[in-house]
Amino acid sequence: MSKRKTNLTRRGFLWRTAGLVAAPVIVPATALGLGGSVPPSERIILGGLGIGNRGSHDLQWMLPEKDVQFVADCDPQKSRAEKVKNIVDTRYGNKDFKIYHNTPEFLAERTDIDALLVTTGDRWHALASILAMRAGKDVYSEKPSSMTVAEGRAVADTAKRHRRIYQTGTQRLSEGNFTFCNEMLRLGRLGDVHTVRAHIAPWDAAEMRHDWLPAQPLPPKDEVDWDQWLGPCPWRPYNPAYCSGGWRGFYDFHTSCIGEWGAHTFAQCQVAIGQQYTSAIDYKYVNNKTGDGMVTTFPNGVKMVLQLEGWRGSCGVTFEGTEGWVGAADGYSQPDVSNPAMLDDFKKLVGDYMARTQRPMSHVRNFLDCVKSRQQTVANAEMMHRSMTTVHAANICMWLKRDLKFDPDKERFVNDPQADRFLSRAMREPWIY
Amino acid sequence: MLKKRTILILVAAALLSPVFSYGQTVVPASKQDELIAVLKSGDATRKEKADACRLLSSIATKEAVPALAALLGDEEMNHMARYALEPIKDPSVDDALLDALGKLQGKPLVGVIGSIGVRGERRAVKPLAQMLKSNDSMVAQAAGRALGNIGDAAAAKALGSALAGSSGDNKLAICEGMFRCAETLGGNEAAAIYDQLRELKDPHQARAGGLRGAILTRKDGFDLLKEYLESKDYIMFSAAVQTSGEMPGAKVTAALTGQLGKLSADNQVLILGALAVRGDAAAIPAIAKAAKSGDKAVRIAAIEALPPLGDASAVPVLVDLLDDSDTDIAQAAQANLAAMSGNKVDAAVMAMLADGNTKTQLTALDLIERRRMTNVGGALLKATKDNDESVRTAAIKMLGDLPGEVNFGVLVNLLLGAKSSAEIRAAERALATTCKREAKPSPGNVTIRKAVYRGIEGGGSADVTKKVAEMVAAGAVSIEASNANFGDAAQGIVKELQIEFTANGVTQTETVREGQSITLLTGATPDALVEELCSAMAKAQAEQKAALLRVLRAAQGAKALESIRAATKDADSEVSGEAISILCGWPSAEVLPDVLKLATTAGENKVKILAVRGAIRLIPLQDASVDKKLAGFKEIVPLIQRDEEKRLLLGSLATVPTNEALAMAVAYLDSAATKNEACFAAVAIAEAIGSKSAAEVGAAMEKVLAAATNDDVKKRAKAVLDKAGK
Repeated sequence: MSKRKTNLTRRGFLWRTAGLVAAPVIVPATALGLGGSVPPSERIILGGLGIGNRGSHDLQWMLPEKDVQFVADCDPQKSRAEKVKNIVDTRYGNKDFKIYHNTPEFLAERTDIDALLVTTGDRWHALASILAMRAGKDVYSEKPSSMTVAEGRAVADTAKRHRRIYQTGTQRLSEGNFTFCNEMLRLGRLGDVHTVRAHIAPWDAAEMRHDWLPAQPLPPKDEVDWDQWLGPCPWRPYNPAYCSGGWRGFYDFHTSCIGEWGAHTFAQCQVAIGQQYTSAIDYKYVNNKTGDGMVTTFPNGVKMVLQLEGWRGSCGVTFEGTEGWVGAADGYSQPDVSNPAMLDDFKKLVGDYMARTQRPMSHVRNFLDCVKSRQQTVANAEMMHRSMTTVHAANICMWLKRDLKFDPDKERFVNDPQADRFLSRAMREPWIY
Repeated sequence: MLKKRTILILVAAALLSPVFSYGQTVVPASKQDELIAVLKSGDATRKEKADACRLLSSIATKEAVPALAALLGDEEMNHMARYALEPIKDPSVDDALLDALGKLQGKPLVGVIGSIGVRGERRAVKPLAQMLKSNDSMVAQAAGRALGNIGDAAAAKALGSALAGSSGDNKLAICEGMFRCAETLGGNEAAAIYDQLRELKDPHQARAGGLRGAILTRKDGFDLLKEYLESKDYIMFSAAVQTSGEMPGAKVTAALTGQLGKLSADNQVLILGALAVRGDAAAIPAIAKAAKSGDKAVRIAAIEALPPLGDASAVPVLVDLLDDSDTDIAQAAQANLAAMSGNKVDAAVMAMLADGNTKTQLTALDLIERRRMTNVGGALLKATKDNDESVRTAAIKMLGDLPGEVNFGVLVNLLLGAKSSAEIRAAERALATTCKREAKPSPGNVTIRKAVYRGIEGGGSADVTKKVAEMVAAGAVSIEASNANFGDAAQGIVKELQIEFTANGVTQTETVREGQSITLLTGATPDALVEELCSAMAKAQAEQKAALLRVLRAAQGAKALESIRAATKDADSEVSGEAISILCGWPSAEVLPDVLKLATTAGENKVKILAVRGAIRLIPLQDASVDKKLAGFKEIVPLIQRDEEKRLLLGSLATVPTNEALAMAVAYLDSAATKNEACFAAVAIAEAIGSKSAAEVGAAMEKVLAAATNDDVKKRAKAVLDKAGK
């Protein structure tokens, strides 16, 4: 519900080409001596890191925002960066958008950029976010936002250290149906909530691949910078399939079917039950390939069940209490409820939430508002890290094929040195944070 | 004797074949020796060694350290050796890394420095301090971060000394190291580090982070916060405001509110946002002042800051602003008042409703609806007697929107006593809304059109339409997708059930996976409510009667239909016309005989047209054989006069795929007004008939091809023709 009028005053609008879509020349915050702090009345200069298919969706949500100017993208894959340039240049009616291929050079050179959209593959989300925040940028990162518990902790610490605004792309935390569910829990309308159910992706498995695809000739570095594409992950020979989404399912690059959607649904569940700043403490192993049916327990006693089926859309969640249940997933025209009368208050509950929290029903807008207000986003770094910790611990439970207990304060497993070994992975030089 | 290479291959094969199988992530601890053997082998491939390192990372002990350490100097294996070494809890790992520190260069050295940082090895401080000056920037930066991880006083001192002469990315790494040291050291040592960082000229993020640390670490941090809340430097000002969110207490709130009115609009907006997040109601008087006058952006930010504080004292502030001359301000106040919870807000809204001012009363009614207020029935009923029609109308509408505030009979009486058309419409809407809300799930009038039980990825499918129809006829309202119900159409594959059905004439399609159920329910308004509506018909004037008929249409059900049928004979043409219109638009086929009768006997042309259109829509909805439906179409054809209804008929003919229907469609090919729809109908029917009537289909498709202008329909006709020819 951000109705605040943006009064763009200081960064002048000089229309370069009459008749074309507005492409203002903007004086960046750095030139005004404002560093990465963008005042409420100013425009935010945005850049991208690794914008692929998913990132293009984010881009389409960001470009229409009137207080945003998208200026550059960095990607080790030239063809992807060129697609992004085409989208942005077409919208702005010029050829000003710049593309880069080397992340450290990009960050060092573009001091004018206030915030970055990080939509690389999973393997780079955390490192890219850390490097960007350390370079003074605010970050909107796609999820799953970390590969290990240690990576997630490093992201959260970096945001805090450098006073950066961070939002992870769990956009359902800014959607009406899911917000309604959360508010129903918060207001006690379901009685005592004892069980929540989190959708996990119906493809891939919790067990992961360790094979290498057959080696293919390495393309020129300016087409695909393979060393950079791999980033902190173990080296393996080049195969073009990895670069077109074929990295999914591999242990080095992916967080399994649990992370694929759990990055969303665990966060949704944890926010709903007020456990977003802790993690599940108990994980019960299930003898199947996906983790379907695994029961995890949070410090407040609420159980979260990982569930493959039971929704009519993706990333579903269901919350069960002593006095009723609610649920939602993508594509629902309205939340599923145990009693239709619950929906009478839909608008009021969502409206109250927006007024109480000052958060709009737009995840991107929430990020942009927070870049200016310097307040915490709805999916901030600490919250991201805690929900991803539950994802990682559930994966480790599946890999070790036994029950686990986790201590969220120490961020270690309880008396389980072998499980602790999976909390971090050595990073490949020089991609170390 | 087997050669060494052969032995290794056999060992690797024996060990790694199961290990490398898809999905294996962990091996038993007993495999360590075999994995070490792979590492020592001169013949093992890079992949084999990498996998050995990865597997060792979860089981390795100090026994594996020598073999792993030997790989640190190998550019290809440095990373994977560290991958296995980092988690081993034994000092021999640190010895090995320290040893490598003095011998390596370039990327392997960067990797080793990183691992030393992860392990926090204090013996490395001295060499790492030296490396801060390295000409290799990767090494210098890695050293800065690693010293930060070690985080003792010596590391902090080394970093602090190197800061002054650093620049660019090296400076970022040193700042990062200093932050990490401060977090480990705490107290005065941390405060000194943070002071050093906040006093830098750049980078801005280190200055801002340094300020946060400096404020939060020291006991007198509040004084520092206050100082920077007056800073002209926006970076440090915004960092101070941001940090205030981590500092509870009235003193901090007062420091923030003290700046309102003194600063630029941007800075005030930032402070108001922080006050909203802090949730300290003590800020309300200052926020109220900011909301009342001044820069518009600041005023709106102030208005938006009030609901998060959740305190009733904010209510009069927002109420006062409802009359603001700036409509943006007034709307913001109304929206935020609507969102505030609590009895005091409710009381303020009720006082507004009792006010004699129409605008205020209408605002109150809007707030009652948006706030979903309860126990307001009496006040709303009073408002329905107000002198102003707009207030009366809004109050009547509200009574329908808020469940349980008044009895259904009260709403009926409001309609009967309505003084104007607007009030009649409002009462009609309130009654219809209530009927729908009170509708209870029931099996209703459900017709199964098609049901299929099939494997989700192919592999078998069964038409279970008949079975589902039998289950519904036997009283089932919920159909489970299960082999028990439908047999196993695709063995070994998860199945899904798809049912296309009509409920009260409305067609729906639902699909569920095996184990789930489709519920075939419709909503039925309770009989008691329908009875009240029917009784009211006798007392109503013509306009009210017409409105009641529309409510009965919303209520649905046999009793409602009976009343509507009776009204078609009402002496007042306004009433009978409305009843006929509703009958012809009734969603289910039970009214088809009435509609056909109207189509054949009505004297008024307008009624005939309505009835013909209704019949064409209703004929396919019958739960009847194709022959019976075809007979219905045949009966209606002579009554069709206009091209519009001819086109409507053609749109429905495909529901009776027979040679006769095909001939009926072909007959319309000659008219330019119906040619296009006739082509589509003929092709759709022909596709369904297929080769059963090859000659008829072939002849019809020849005609379609000659008449059609649409490429898609031509293509389909050609395909049917080809198939019929075979």
